[in-house]
Amino acid sequence: MKLSVHLGRLMLQNPIVLASGTCGYGREMQPYLNLNDFGAITVKGLSLLPCEGNPPPRIWEVRAGILNSIGLENKGVGRFLEEDLPFLENLSTRIFVNIWGRTVDEYVAVARELDKIARIDALELNLSCPNVEKGGASFVADLEELRKLVRGVRAATGKFLIAKLGPQVRDWEATVTLLEEEGIEALSVTNSFPALALDVERMSFIFALKTAGLSGPAIKPLALRMVYELVGITGLPIIGMGGITTADDALEFLLVGARAVGIGTANLVDPSSAMRILEGMQQYLMRKGITDIEEIIGRVR
Amino acid sequence: MKLSRVRRKERIGERFVLLELEESGIAAQAKPGQFVMVRPFQEVFDPLLARPFAVLRTQGDSFTLLFEVTGRGTALLARAEPGDVLSVLGPLGRGFSLDASSGVLIAGGRGIVPLVFLALEFLKRTIPSLFFVGVRERKELALLRVLEGIPEVFWSCEEKVAGGFCGTVLDLVRRHLDAVFKSDAKVYACGPEGMLRKLKEIFSGREEKVEVSLETRMGCGFGVCLGCAVPKKGGGYWHVCSDGPVFKLSEVML
Ligand SMILES: Cc1cc2nc3c(=O)[nH]c(=O)nc-3n(C[C@H](O)[C@H](O)[C@H](O)COP(=O)(O)OP(=O)(O)OC[C@H]3O[C@@H](n4cnc5c(N)ncnc54)[C@H](O)[C@@H]3O)c2cc1C
Ligand SMILES: Cc1cc2nc3c(=O)[nH]c(=O)nc-3n(C[C@H](O)[C@H](O)[C@H](O)COP(=O)(O)O)c2cc1C
Ligand code: FES
Repeated sequence: MKLSVHLGRLMLQNPIVLASGTCGYGREMQPYLNLNDFGAITVKGLSLLPCEGNPPPRIWEVRAGILNSIGLENKGVGRFLEEDLPFLENLSTRIFVNIWGRTVDEYVAVARELDKIARIDALELNLSCPNVEKGGASFVADLEELRKLVRGVRAATGKFLIAKLGPQVRDWEATVTLLEEEGIEALSVTNSFPALALDVERMSFIFALKTAGLSGPAIKPLALRMVYELVGITGLPIIGMGGITTADDALEFLLVGARAVGIGTANLVDPSSAMRILEGMQQYLMRKGITDIEEIIGRVR
Repeated sequence: MKLSRVRRKERIGERFVLLELEESGIAAQAKPGQFVMVRPFQEVFDPLLARPFAVLRTQGDSFTLLFEVTGRGTALLARAEPGDVLSVLGPLGRGFSLDASSGVLIAGGRGIVPLVFLALEFLKRTIPSLFFVGVRERKELALLRVLEGIPEVFWSCEEKVAGGFCGTVLDLVRRHLDAVFKSDAKVYACGPEGMLRKLKEIFSGREEKVEVSLETRMGCGFGVCLGCAVPKKGGGYWHVCSDGPVFKLSEVML
């Protein structure tokens, strides 16, 4: 059975990608999962300098989903390269690194640092962070700013470049056209959904920053529709994600045209989820007598 | 996660449930203060996240949990019956230090759970200990049952009950402070946040020798989501699941 898929010039041994923020820096998953079994692992969003993240509480459970307000806590590129890269270098799976900054320059600086590391296969730009130069708007909210950002990063690295989009995108066609023009090679869709939760007893907001990102099964149909629509407007390969918890969830994304799938919240719920999903996909293909996974990609349009 | 069969179930008082679970890996490895993540049943995605629980004790190829029914997840877990299969992950986190010459154990309510495991370990190692435990209401006194076999137990209840001290567990500890301070004991505590905060007053200047086990909301329990942050003394955050759940009182801001 052939499970490998191409994302443009990048080949994955199978379409399962561990999503950023849900598999740490890699090492943490080692006791529970053989990372070499998957297409790629996406390292937690890195910024140039360490970032403390938001005050607790940071996680709130809602029906069939979670709200998170981690606040992009991370150890920064320097410590990542020192502490975690040696472990990752011994893996055979693809390594994606999710990156972010508060300014265009910060994104570019992170990309430049990581460009030097041969073992890193791709950079994934998290485009939903607040842009401090533009007073807190996210980078996807302003196309002009987005163009500057992607152009800067593209000039700083020859690595495979993925743009990670979320529901904050206003004009999908214009955004995707811009990303294609500036040299983005794949899309990750979707990041978590801005959402809100209150504590009724205390009559207050749960999170210090009020809103937080919703992920998990609750968002799956919304994410699936986003991927379906996007496949219709761009030729860029898409890594579909949002609420994937079972093999059937993953298959739905492939059937509408995603070329790979990201497993996020499910990794937190049970670190062996990705293996269970991969095995379930293989069983499905066997049951259907399909020998090449490419045969199901985009089959339902 | 591993599948684990419920071997025994016992209700303790009105709000507590004790489950003995078969899982030889956890039984063999768990240390006092460590915890496990538990999902009530397979293929249930609502509630979604696993719940963290401290290990009460281990015996042969099984380990025991004791939990308070406080919300949706624990209510579902309380329905598990012998023979049912749950998903478990563990043992997780860093437990208590075991290098004490003697120990003073202070538990509030369900905080008793990791300390029972510690007391049993001390007993095995012939390290002397005093165990102080407090409950709020009379009906929670049923919890004292899990202290069977542990010597030197002192208990309190905030409601008036015959035979026991009336007040909080820290009121009780204050009455024995001479004994506590005289021995060069390490202090171990687990309980509601308010109780842990007050420890800072009682043990002011001795925070280095006090270990507390903390509860926070957890996403994963094994260090990938960064959801379980608690403020570090001096700035920044600890992650309770991987840096703790046991911390020195001097390291955390409560
Ligand atoms: C390391 C550790 C060890 C624990 N050991 C025990 C134990 O031995 N016995 C016991 O009775 N309880 C223990 N707890 C607390 C227990 O995890 C919570 O009571 C339980 O998760 C509540 O779940 P629920 O679905 O019933 O409550 P809900 O309020 O419906 O839960 C909603 C969400 O909040 C989380 N949550 C709510 N309260 C707490 C809390 N106090 N701590 C952590 N998460 C919470 C839940 O995990 C869940 O994600 C421990 C917590 C931690 C962090
Ligand atoms: C705890 C947590 C942390 C996350 N951190 C990041 C991050 O650093 N960068 C990023 O682009 N996405 C991050 N995400 C988003 C996920 O990668 C994923 O896009 C989203 O959760 C939707 O997929 P899911 O429903 O399968 O989780 C995070 C999600 C969670 C739950
Ligand atoms: S609960 Fe996920 S990092 Fe601690």
